[in-house]
Amino acid sequence: MKRPRVLYISSPIGLGHAQRDVAIARELRRLVPGVQIDWLAQDPVTRVLEGEGERIHPMSRHLASESGHMESESAEHDLHCFQAWRRMDEILVANYMVFRDVVHAERYDLWVGDEAWEIDYYLHEHPFEKRAHYAWLTDFVGWLPMEEGGAHEAFLTADYNAEMVEHIAAHPEVRDCALFVGDPDDIVPDRLGPDLPLIRNWTERNFGFVGYVTGFDPDEFRDRERLRAELGYGVAEKVCIVTVGGSGVGDDLLRKVIAAFPDAKRRVPDLRMIVVAGPRIDPASLPAADGLEVRPYVHNLYRHLAACDLAVVQGGLTTAMELTANERPFLYFPLAHHFEQNLHVHHRLERYGAGRRMDFEETEPSDVAAAIADEIGREVDYRPVETDGARRAAGRLAEMLL
Amino acid sequence: MRALAPDDAGFIERDGVPVYWERFGDGDPTVLFLPTWSIVHSRCWKAQVPYFARHFRVLVFDGRGNGRSGRPADNDAYAEAEFAADALAVMDATDTERAVLVSWSRGAQRALLLAADHAERVLGAAFIGPAVPLAPVVPERARAFERFTEPQESYEGWGKWNAHYWRDDYRGFLEFFFAHVYCEPHSTKQIEDAIGWGLETDPDTLVAVTLGPWLGGRDETLDLCDRIACPVLVVHGEDDVVRPPEIGRALAEATGGRYVPLPGCGHGPQCRKPVLVNVLLREFVERAGRSPPVGAGLASQAQEGEIT
Repeated sequence: MKRPRVLYISSPIGLGHAQRDVAIARELRRLVPGVQIDWLAQDPVTRVLEGEGERIHPMSRHLASESGHMESESAEHDLHCFQAWRRMDEILVANYMVFRDVVHAERYDLWVGDEAWEIDYYLHEHPFEKRAHYAWLTDFVGWLPMEEGGAHEAFLTADYNAEMVEHIAAHPEVRDCALFVGDPDDIVPDRLGPDLPLIRNWTERNFGFVGYVTGFDPDEFRDRERLRAELGYGVAEKVCIVTVGGSGVGDDLLRKVIAAFPDAKRRVPDLRMIVVAGPRIDPASLPAADGLEVRPYVHNLYRHLAACDLAVVQGGLTTAMELTANERPFLYFPLAHHFEQNLHVHHRLERYGAGRRMDFEETEPSDVAAAIADEIGREVDYRPVETDGARRAAGRLAEMLL
Repeated sequence: MRALAPDDAGFIERDGVPVYWERFGDGDPTVLFLPTWSIVHSRCWKAQVPYFARHFRVLVFDGRGNGRSGRPADNDAYAEAEFAADALAVMDATDTERAVLVSWSRGAQRALLLAADHAERVLGAAFIGPAVPLAPVVPERARAFERFTEPQESYEGWGKWNAHYWRDDYRGFLEFFFAHVYCEPHSTKQIEDAIGWGLETDPDTLVAVTLGPWLGGRDETLDLCDRIACPVLVVHGEDDVVRPPEIGRALAEATGGRYVPLPGCGHGPQCRKPVLVNVLLREFVERAGRSPPVGAGLASQAQEGEIT
């Protein structure tokens, strides 16, 4: 029998998809011995994949940069992600054409697209393009308007959602498997649009639910003292990790927290603050402060997040959920105009009772310092995060290969 | 952010009119995406450029009247022959001996001139929703064409195709027009893009462009078609309300080209259904790129002095 081959396309907007997709791939290899997984991926996803020794398809070098586009669209702690995504249309079609060349040159048995928007959209536009099993993964469903976008943005998001609903109804054969990373309760109570179904009802009809995919087992970190010792964090230190993920849109939050450091250090004398610039922000471009540590990209950042006493983050899902799974207190600052962070992620974190939401615009460095002092080392009582999401997702993928 | 930045860019200048061009990639053959009506500019090919640059060599230029090209005031500066001459000048400036031409809508007219009169430089001609006088447009639109420079009491529907209305409510015209170009549901982005490109020029320029001499008519067009020997592809949206598909069919018939109807598509399928159009064009470019250029044998023999 031929060795089964999988082409995995992981969204490069942020680092979160890469973490969970690596975890799913690991489980898939357990379930389907001999499976070969190639990744069509770009920076910053490739950094995670390289760290894990995954095989990156050489055609990946032709992909136009989605992260670069998102950075070009961002302002001070502000990313209108729906409009930025709309304006990414030419990048999406260029990248679909790269994907098409790959799958016309090589046989794959299964394509997996984790929020690989271009693959999902054009396969539904042109179902005759499908030549392998195809699985779609996402952690949110539905473009939602931000209130400040007014009636026009509400019209646009509903129009995009309507197209999605029509696509799925007209071509149910395209997605052999659609997986929602989470549970039905994680879904916002909104409608897809004024004349469209409730997002939850529609998603329940059209998706399977695999629970959250953490990419690690929090049990690994139950012995926090040992983990801290391993990472070089002292028992008496109050470790605060500041991170904005991998997209490069977050420079301003890092600067605001750095500005809060001297005040926070006065309030919490044992404070050890570590700022992780991430793969797309140059640490040397950030201001320095006495006693403050600034690091470039940290591989397996989740281990540090599991060990910390407090984290300060953006509103991205993955980092927030890593902290939730590890029961760490955290402050989160959703990007302005970013519907996913402000609405979808916020809803999910509320459900888990996790994190303290902060508003970037209205928060002064002294407020950040006060919040750090309030929250650092606090015992939390979050809803437990499931730990078998990667295995469940891989199980659904394996069904198509066995 | 653009999906791909040009490898080279510059201006040619003819009769004081600068024309901005860009080159992408180094493959073979060269694909020249021609400008259409100057209501838009070369960014209308944004869904094609990265893909074709990866496989071939791509040239685009902003048609005079929009983008970074000049905006002469004289109607005659927008004659079809001027656009064709700009194309040849861009090819010369980029050391492009021959190219496969891809045109959209009104760009078809300059493509016909190039393929008929400069056959040695044209490997093939692909037409998307061509605007040539081989079949009628809807009567309401034909009437508006005739009254283009006459003020009307009101401007409804295709009546908005009027120089006075453009000067009075240019944006209103762009909104009307592009809603008809991209008549497929869920085309908000394509419409927004095109309105934005339209706003990069101004109504006076667009009036001059529109009054520039078009191809003479059916007979002249058929004569050009008769003289075209290179491979031809015509793709036309079956739901095109700007230029009905009968026009594309007639052009394919007159040139002996292949006709591909695109079900469910309007007047701008390369923007609205880019994957479909890219796949069709790629196949065509590969085929045309392999064909010996018409007249090339004679030209090269002449250069070698075998024909006097």
